[in-house]
Amino acid sequence: MAWIPKPSASMKIERRDEPYLTQAMKDELSQRYLPRFETTLAALLPALHMIQHEYHWVPPQAMEEIAEFLGLSPADVLDTATFYEEYALAPRGRHVVGVCRSIACEFCGQPQVTQAIKDTLGIDVGETTADGKVCLVELECLGSCGTAPAALIDEELHEQLTPQRAAELVRQVRSQDAPPPASGREGLAPETASNAPKGASKSAPKSAH
Amino acid sequence: MAWSPKFTQHALCKRIPTWPYADPKDRHVVSYDEYVKTGGYEGLRKALTMKPGDVTEAVKKSMLRGRGGAGFPTGLKWTFLPKLDEGQDDLSKRGPRYLAINADESEPGTFKDRLLMDFDPHLVLEGIAICCYACRLDKAFIFIRGEYHHQAHVLEKAIAEAYDNGIFGPKGLINSNANTGGAKFTVDCYVHRGAGAYICGEETALLEGLEGKRGWPRIKPPFPAVEGLFGKPTIINNVETLAHLPSIVENGPEWFMAQGVESTVGGPPSYGTKLMGVSGHVNRPGVYEFELGIPLRTLIEDYCGGIRGGKKYKAAIPGGVSMGILGTDQYEAELDFDIGRKYNVLGLGTACPTVFDEDTDMVAVARNISRFFKHESCGQCTPCREGSGWLYQLMTRIEEGHAKTKDLDMALEIATSMGSMPGTTICGLADGNNWALRTIMNKFRDEFETRVSPSHVAVKMTIGAAAHG
Repeated sequence: MAWIPKPSASMKIERRDEPYLTQAMKDELSQRYLPRFETTLAALLPALHMIQHEYHWVPPQAMEEIAEFLGLSPADVLDTATFYEEYALAPRGRHVVGVCRSIACEFCGQPQVTQAIKDTLGIDVGETTADGKVCLVELECLGSCGTAPAALIDEELHEQLTPQRAAELVRQVRSQDAPPPASGREGLAPETASNAPKGASKSAPKSAH
Repeated sequence: MAWSPKFTQHALCKRIPTWPYADPKDRHVVSYDEYVKTGGYEGLRKALTMKPGDVTEAVKKSMLRGRGGAGFPTGLKWTFLPKLDEGQDDLSKRGPRYLAINADESEPGTFKDRLLMDFDPHLVLEGIAICCYACRLDKAFIFIRGEYHHQAHVLEKAIAEAYDNGIFGPKGLINSNANTGGAKFTVDCYVHRGAGAYICGEETALLEGLEGKRGWPRIKPPFPAVEGLFGKPTIINNVETLAHLPSIVENGPEWFMAQGVESTVGGPPSYGTKLMGVSGHVNRPGVYEFELGIPLRTLIEDYCGGIRGGKKYKAAIPGGVSMGILGTDQYEAELDFDIGRKYNVLGLGTACPTVFDEDTDMVAVARNISRFFKHESCGQCTPCREGSGWLYQLMTRIEEGHAKTKDLDMALEIATSMGSMPGTTICGLADGNNWALRTIMNKFRDEFETRVSPSHVAVKMTIGAAAHG
């Protein structure tokens, strides 16, 4: 959705004391990425990737922190972040199931795959399950036309799907018991989010690359 | 006349088992050691014994045409770079010059570059090193689409190996050489991940993406070779184009020109092999490597196991949805750069045919394609932003059976005015949208007509006294 603006004007900024952009991320940016580029703006995509990878969405506070770190105006960050589809500017499910809906996939059985996933999760495309675990989206071409239909589950590509296999995969994803990071779920399922310790992200900070 | 390949060896898929010469099941990531053992980096070593200008000349002579879709001669593109004066090889005496590698393969139906990045990343890196040496480029950014997580990891690993083995970095380019006139010349190579925008495959949008901005195509001129990334001279080449360089340099341009075909319509020739990713309703979809000029029928019937379920061929998209469609009577079309002028499509594109069998609903195909363009229009130019949305609405309406005959003409008019009219948009996305829909609607007009109701409906009315009588 390259050009449809995301609802940035009505965005409510929820803040927390702990910064989203951790020291480890700052170090990686300044040591690994910034020396490559002539401008600090160019490090924006890697920075946003880090945030997206860690928290599964890009909180507005994180965008402000990135802007401050890179010496940009927050509007510059928002400008870029709203353009690229991969950055979720609102919390989504812990896991994102992206089914390819482009030409080869659609005519090789994608509608049945999407239907099977919808039935398994009990949600429609674009929605997140009530437990906040899985979000179903339809994506444009994933580059697996020869092995259609395909779906990208988080960062892993699954090809030659059948409705049964797809249903099984999303069931597996949903039953993974890693607690979602508290930050990624605020506003979605507040009652469970508040139970989780603040910032209790199990995984060590990893780069998005 | 039956088509047969002139060479029975793959150039790009030398190390990637591919039909019909090897079983794709044996594919694996080729490491640096294996790559070198099988003759890898010999092209670069040979290039380093030549003067940079001679490498460019060889590529120019080979008539290698860009494999990303437009088919622009690669060597010619390189000559648009500003000339360097004597002694300017040293980076400290001039500004940097860049290479941007287009690995943002997002066009529906296209999945060929992925094969190279999946299994033989060093072939791409060798091509990058040769290009950087020939054009005197200091930094190479591989702009890879965000969805290719695995490929980005494979490339990162391969780049690390290349740094360790004297390809990139301060100890790189096989520890420098005499042809730089003693000056230190090094190349750095990085992977830069996109974030899900098809438009970033357009060369100037790719540069914007690299600069961290919205992927909005730039107005040309200035062309990127003069003012590209960060305002510096930049060459943008496709992954497959660069992967062709090692074998061209190693075997010479004549070897390359012996493959493929001459143009039959007076255009530039189509030399060399091409990766062809066949998808859709065929028995054995996947990426193949064949010489340009292979007829679509031969590719599908002889190599891809024919149409799935024993059905008949109906239509095919030659290479990415923006290229338009080949009709039922165009099954014999030769896949080379002449295809656009001979078969009324936009061009060869990426030569990755998406094949449809006789049961396919072409209205649904049109709807799917128009949805893609509506979704991926960057929104910078009004004709494209609005037109793509209108076309999607019209196609949906036709598919659902709510449209009238006049809607068909309206769709064609919108398509033509947003795409064919020169100067309406900055980049070619609207053009692709126009060609895709216009060729489907013209070549399968009867299917569209049966789905719409007549615009003019005769109504019988009785007026006057008789009406009340």
